[in-house]
Amino acid sequence: MNANSHLADRKYIIGGFFILVAVIYIARLFYIQIIDDKYKLDAQNNAFRYITEYPVRGYIYDRNGKLLVYNEASYDLMVTPKETKGCDTLALCEVLQITKEDYLKRIKKACQAPNSPRKQSVFEKQMSAQTYAALQEKLYRFNGFFVQKRTVRKYPKPIAAHLLGYVGEVTKEKAEKDPYYREGDYIGISGMERSYEEALRGKKGVQIAITDVHNKVVGRYMDGKYDTLAIPGKPLFCTIDMTLQEYGEQLLRGKKGAVVAIEPSSGEILCLVSSPTYDPNLLVGGKERARNFTKLYYDSLNLPLFNRALQAMYPPGSIFKLIDALIAQRDGLIFRNTSFPCHGGYPPMGGKPKCHSHGGVDLPGSIATSCNSYYSYVFRAIVDQKKYPKFKDGYNYWRETVQSFGPGTNLGTDLPYDKPGNVPSVKYYNKVFGENGWRSNTIVSLGIGQAELTLVPLQMANVVATIANRGYYYTPHCVKGVGYEKKQDQKFKEKKYVSVQGETYYTNVIDGMQRCLDGGTATASKIKDIVMCGKTGTAQNPHGKDHAVFLAFAPRENPKIAIACIIENAGFGGTWSAPIVSLMVEKYLKGKITRPEMEKRMLEADLINGKNLLHEKH
Amino acid sequence: MKLFAYLKGDKVIWAIMMLLSLLSVLVVYSAVVTLAHKFKQGNSEYYLIKHFVIIVLGFGIAYVFHKIKYTVFAKVAQIGFILSVPLLLYTLLRGVSAGEASRWIEIPGIGLTFQSSDIAKIMLLLYVARVLTVKQDALQEFKGVVKLLLVPIGLICALILPANFSTAALLFVNCLCLMFIGRVRMKFMLYIIGACVGFAILLTVVVLNFPDAIPRGRTWKARIENFISGDTKTNYQSDQAKIAVANGGVIGKGPGNSTQRAFLPQASSDFIYAIIIEEYGLLTGVIMLFLYMVLLFRGIRILRDTDKTFGGFIAIGLSFSLVFQALINMAVAVNLFPVTGQPLPLVSMGGTSIWFTMAAMGIILSVSKSNEDTTAEKLETI
Ligand SMILES: [Zn+2]
Repeated sequence: MNANSHLADRKYIIGGFFILVAVIYIARLFYIQIIDDKYKLDAQNNAFRYITEYPVRGYIYDRNGKLLVYNEASYDLMVTPKETKGCDTLALCEVLQITKEDYLKRIKKACQAPNSPRKQSVFEKQMSAQTYAALQEKLYRFNGFFVQKRTVRKYPKPIAAHLLGYVGEVTKEKAEKDPYYREGDYIGISGMERSYEEALRGKKGVQIAITDVHNKVVGRYMDGKYDTLAIPGKPLFCTIDMTLQEYGEQLLRGKKGAVVAIEPSSGEILCLVSSPTYDPNLLVGGKERARNFTKLYYDSLNLPLFNRALQAMYPPGSIFKLIDALIAQRDGLIFRNTSFPCHGGYPPMGGKPKCHSHGGVDLPGSIATSCNSYYSYVFRAIVDQKKYPKFKDGYNYWRETVQSFGPGTNLGTDLPYDKPGNVPSVKYYNKVFGENGWRSNTIVSLGIGQAELTLVPLQMANVVATIANRGYYYTPHCVKGVGYEKKQDQKFKEKKYVSVQGETYYTNVIDGMQRCLDGGTATASKIKDIVMCGKTGTAQNPHGKDHAVFLAFAPRENPKIAIACIIENAGFGGTWSAPIVSLMVEKYLKGKITRPEMEKRMLEADLINGKNLLHEKH
Repeated sequence: MKLFAYLKGDKVIWAIMMLLSLLSVLVVYSAVVTLAHKFKQGNSEYYLIKHFVIIVLGFGIAYVFHKIKYTVFAKVAQIGFILSVPLLLYTLLRGVSAGEASRWIEIPGIGLTFQSSDIAKIMLLLYVARVLTVKQDALQEFKGVVKLLLVPIGLICALILPANFSTAALLFVNCLCLMFIGRVRMKFMLYIIGACVGFAILLTVVVLNFPDAIPRGRTWKARIENFISGDTKTNYQSDQAKIAVANGGVIGKGPGNSTQRAFLPQASSDFIYAIIIEEYGLLTGVIMLFLYMVLLFRGIRILRDTDKTFGGFIAIGLSFSLVFQALINMAVAVNLFPVTGQPLPLVSMGGTSIWFTMAAMGIILSVSKSNEDTTAEKLETI
């Protein structure tokens, strides 16, 4: 009993001791929370600073390894307004050469949404090297300020603006959606900069620093456990031939239009010119960029930011006859020696569409002379053929076959924002003419590439590349290697076969295209020693003078280049587009120009401002 | 609650376990919220799910243990206590070969790691409880106390000490408390305490003057010096903890809103109490303290009610050990004690440690269950 009570005492001693400890703790907690205000102050003082290390954006090289785009260092001065207490404002204003009012205005802006006094925002964008040097010395006096190093794009030659695209600040929406970006980050907005953004940008690094009340970095958060190193962007090795691109841009100066050249054996885009263009150096970050962009954006006469090569949908005109000829041959509707009447127009419809009284030409001849009547017969023969008792099925068949060549579809190129063009559907015509209100003759002008039919220049180039390959194409693309390991999307290595297969069909068409330059519609553009096969076209323009179209490939055997050119409001294709194509093909294959007068005439013509040298001669 | 119908033993202890586990899930949830928000790193749900699974399995372990008759543990302890010696030795030597203090052993094949001291702790306490019950006669002489208690306790603590000083010291004090309650004569207790104070002074002197003489000596030296000097720069962690406490207020800043988590390197274990106060308030902090106190007094109650003293000693020994550890963890957070690295039992994140704590709880519950049974039996006989 005694022992037991003794035991009881002992355990309550321990229990009492613990209670005492607990009471001490509670007292201690109250002391820290309520009486001692030292630590409350401290809580305000601890701050993180995320120091972002921006990776170097990947360089871009042309197909021969020449540099198209590189970077230059630039320095942004960042501010966290909440931390600027004790900043030597006067000295800062002096270094930046701004007034006190400017300073206050900018701080105010940095405090307002979307910025915040607690968050860092840009105070001065892209300081000059001298300003940066002067600032760096005194930075310790500027509480709340630090310098963010970044890079901006530079272009050794002011070319290929549409193709390369530009880099700019990420939009608020994008920054909210994609966790990689924060407001103020740069992102590829158009062209290759956009489609290869992920490879080009690399990966940002972040250092998380802990700062004290004086805005001094006192340590690294968790010993740098969460810090990451920046990974530099990958270089792009693109398919563009810088020389050809530059030459194309020179030739199209003063003209509205586009030229696209493709290497048929690979689908590699050799050049992609859209005119009018702009100097890509104009759209390089900073204050200048915004001003220049606004200027380019509001140039409604020239629309320099508009990439005609991918986005302008033109009626193809006579070049479309090539596709008709191929389809009709495959269906056994025409042969090499087939001829149709042409009495200055398509006889069954009272001479419409109009023509030049060819009569009796065979298939190659119909292409060389571009007989409208011939292809009105051909188109109706396809649509009304016996295989399809209902002509609408025949039309659908024609449409699907045409689409296999690319028109009316997105080709799937590696450039953003390409338009599909248009091959009208049965549904569309039912709506326009009524269920029973149309026949093959109603839409006969489709056969000669007019009416609602539209293509973008890239698709025109792809059609001619397909013909050069005798029935297949590779999806056109402008990058053949990403990173030093030169990775490429497998889809660009796949042959795409169009619906018309058969060597002879192509030979007959190509014979016509060759004749087009040997006494046909583009005779003046023949190149000595090079067998070029081409086709002229005139795209009807309801708003003014017709657009001139020409497409060609060369040489005839083992073609090295397939090219399409469209010049707006230039009339007949043989006059403007064919010489430009001819010069570019010669430049690409021979590396020199043998016809300086032709070159001079093309270079100097200014169709936009009405300086048409040909017309002046008249 | 229907759930309680399936659970035998002290319902209050069960309730404390559940409340503390709930708190631990809340804390891990805040940690996940913060991490996910600040660093946008993936697998944030992973931690939460993993922790939840660990807790559920922990309850499973407690359930199984509380179903076992506690006398079985007496037999297990006799063997287990002996087995824990080579286990600790293995951990120690493996650590030496790796060039650092090692506390963990990996169970081959399944990738789970556990601290060998967690097992040794439970085994030693069970062993001491048994000796205090069975060998009372031999303990009347100091020689017996030394042979049966001090040597085994000293051996286990000595084996834990190089890798984990605080756990060893805690366990030793724990055993002393158990001996104190277990009727070891007051005179002997005073001898032992006197010897301990002497040893502690000696160790402090050695650590401060010849830190390289002992493994981890440098770490200990730094911790002691930091605590004594109170220098703000080196006492960075405790200052950050105090900031957390100061800014929590009575009801806290809300889950995931801790800013101090970022500044406290062991926010999910060593300094968890400070973070809990910052996010869930002083009120929650005091309630937690209260819960641990209740746990302790339930242990004392079990001892009071038990006829067979072995069970009582087990219950009091294990509940002491948990509460004591909790108090040390909290003391660090409120800067009453140097940084030790003791997790908060049942609350801190940390896999297998939670399971050992749950096992200990299961054993306590098993004792309380047998108390209930005997009370029921008594009532029937009357
Ligand atoms: Zn004709």
